[in-house]
Amino acid sequence: MPSAISTERISKHFGANRALDQIDFDVAFGEVHALVGENGAGKSTLIRILSGVHQPDAGRILVEGKEQRFAGPHDAIAAGIVTIPQELRLVPALSIAENIALGDLPVRRFGPMALIDRGRLREQGRAVLAQLDFVPDVDCPVSRLSFAERQLVAIGRALHRECRIFILDEPTAALEQHEIERLFSVLKRMRAQGTAIIYISHELDEVVEVADRCTVLRDGRVVASARRGSFAVADLISAMTGRVQDPGGSAPRALGPTLLHMQRGNDQPVSVHAGEMIGLAGLLGSGTEAIMRGLFGVLRPDAGISVGGEPRTLRGPADAIASGIGFSPGERALGLVLNQSVRDNILLASLDQVTRNFVVDRQAGDRIAAELIDLLDIRPRRPELPVRALSGGNQQKVLLAKWLARRVRLLLLEEPTQGIDVGAKAQIHALIRDFVTRGGGALIASSDLAELARLCDAVLAVRQGAITARLDRTAGLDDATLRTAIGA
Amino acid sequence: MKHTSTLAAWRGRLAGQIPLISLIALCILTALLTPRFLSPLNLTNILVQSSIMAVIAIGMTFVIVGGGFDLSVGSTAALAGCVASMVMLQTGITAGVVAGIMAGGAVGLVNGLVIAFLDVNPFITTLGTMVLVRGVVFLITGGAPVSGEYGLPGAFVAFGSERFLGIHLLVWVPALLLAILSFVMYATPYGRRVYATGGGREAAYLSGIPVRRVIASTYVWCGALAGLAGVMLAARLQSGQPTAGEFYELTAIAAVVLGGASLHGGEGSLYKSVIGVFIMIVLGNALNLLNVDSYWQRVAVGIVIVAAAAAERLRSRS
Repeated sequence: MPSAISTERISKHFGANRALDQIDFDVAFGEVHALVGENGAGKSTLIRILSGVHQPDAGRILVEGKEQRFAGPHDAIAAGIVTIPQELRLVPALSIAENIALGDLPVRRFGPMALIDRGRLREQGRAVLAQLDFVPDVDCPVSRLSFAERQLVAIGRALHRECRIFILDEPTAALEQHEIERLFSVLKRMRAQGTAIIYISHELDEVVEVADRCTVLRDGRVVASARRGSFAVADLISAMTGRVQDPGGSAPRALGPTLLHMQRGNDQPVSVHAGEMIGLAGLLGSGTEAIMRGLFGVLRPDAGISVGGEPRTLRGPADAIASGIGFSPGERALGLVLNQSVRDNILLASLDQVTRNFVVDRQAGDRIAAELIDLLDIRPRRPELPVRALSGGNQQKVLLAKWLARRVRLLLLEEPTQGIDVGAKAQIHALIRDFVTRGGGALIASSDLAELARLCDAVLAVRQGAITARLDRTAGLDDATLRTAIGA
Repeated sequence: MKHTSTLAAWRGRLAGQIPLISLIALCILTALLTPRFLSPLNLTNILVQSSIMAVIAIGMTFVIVGGGFDLSVGSTAALAGCVASMVMLQTGITAGVVAGIMAGGAVGLVNGLVIAFLDVNPFITTLGTMVLVRGVVFLITGGAPVSGEYGLPGAFVAFGSERFLGIHLLVWVPALLLAILSFVMYATPYGRRVYATGGGREAAYLSGIPVRRVIASTYVWCGALAGLAGVMLAARLQSGQPTAGEFYELTAIAAVVLGGASLHGGEGSLYKSVIGVFIMIVLGNALNLLNVDSYWQRVAVGIVIVAAAAAERLRSRS
């Protein structure tokens, strides 16, 4: 049987950079083929070529054994290839059913006049989503759905268009554990129905669970390819990074004075000491975001906050920053000015510190930026490059660098490693660890419970806006206990 | 490898100078088509015409870099010209000039407060103030030019025509402003905060920047500079004209966009906006010299604006 889609010796250059070097890759109908690699390994380029966004410099794309040339994304969709990216292209104001049928709305004709056939529209929507085991009110506007539900609607739309080749790019990055499980059962159904799925993820545990085959890219080349059962997470990591992984873990540290303390009603108090990493675990919508924003002065906190032992009223981020607190939001676009340079972003919160006689001291600024770029290993090492040109992992490092430049003592970190590859993840963890061993404190909110369990000295569980429990490392900390504590 | 990267760097630098290159090309082409273009009289004319628009465009660049938009500058210039003339007739030149600039700044402050603190859309807010201010101008002047029985003070009128080092005083104003305010935008924390706020308001806010105050301040700059332009115009017209400055807002916005600023905010530079002003003025001048029908002139100018914006989009997409 021919492959659903395959590439033969695909190469792609961007300027002097070789993004892909003679890639052979294929996926069969009824197969999930995972594609993994560090940021910059060439995954995105390959996906963009398969979805018609980029054209290869050399090599061929075959769809069901026939050579195809995609002049643009439209051609790829016409060939039955759909990409479900992290940003879903749905129309928020339209209903679920309308989104599914968009571009092909069922109509009733009255002579020259055509009216939308609402009944059939709903029927189609329900039927398609039922295949995915998803039974929403199809009249509900998409804007009211959760991210996970939107993702299912996007998949449903593609199924409705009879697409049979799916490219899922980091589909679980913004999902809760139970939503991930639902997505996996959807993928298994789709596979059973003969859909070909290319699955891209940084979460290697997921890859091992869901993939029939796995291909590892590094520096634009295929460095490994294996069938289910013959690869494990550790193998994938060493193939991706080209080095053996450091097992992580943290040495016990001496705790310094209390940096931050917050007591709300009958909740467990939030308290972070110098030298301490505290986790904040909760399901999406459980209130971890509000707690972080309250501590940073974005939202009015309904509780007394003391910083460094003194009670403080934080009227805004400027107050929080002045008391030595830095905040890195989960959505990196909210923490960075994307069209500004790495240098300007690093200095964004410290402009006052590098100002002499009302003028920004460029040399001092350049020096600080260069030091931090070095220290955090931000690549490429070009301070003048706009942040938008950096990979997710490097953007996250710029966010950290911004607060290190400001010399804050307490970091509030939201999803610090979401959507970034294992290599960069380990680096970020090391940086946070380094920050606290030098007398800083960190409060980390993450949906990656394994990350919290491995990194933190204690984790606070948040349920329905309340901090219900504190789990200490000394009492044993693993993602299963955390999952129970947050009610997942 | 090294070679290609320097090549790429040069290409990048060249792409950043597209407005200047276009202006030079436009001048060369016009000079070839008509020798009158390079006559001292014509060149002086272009400089003087550009000077008032340049002052407005510099203010507009603050607003656009900060992520906003200001349609009220034309009306504001008229208001400032009339207020300056009226005060000048009562008291003195200095008081008149200050009153004109402050009237402009006050309009800017209203715009800024409404937009930044009430979160009203800048397009609608300044569309409103554009109409409102024009109405106020007609109310305070009764619709008639302000020049008093014996005209505006001679020293003030002279400012509109006298020269220093062979260059009109009017031209020195934007030249000085450009030098000082470019430094403010580029080198002071305030300037960097304007860029950051326009480029990513939430990120700027979460970095401790008082984004509302920064945004409001850009409108104050814009209003005050529109006021100054109105005063310059009054000197040139030897009177406060209630109908002055119509469509100035459109020319100024077009010039800023021609200069490569992004209407999404966070990008743009004062110097390039002034280049944009020159492109607009030289284009009009060239079409005049070539005796192009005035209706066709409008069509041509419209095409240039849309084409420049489209070219910019295409370049940033590739």
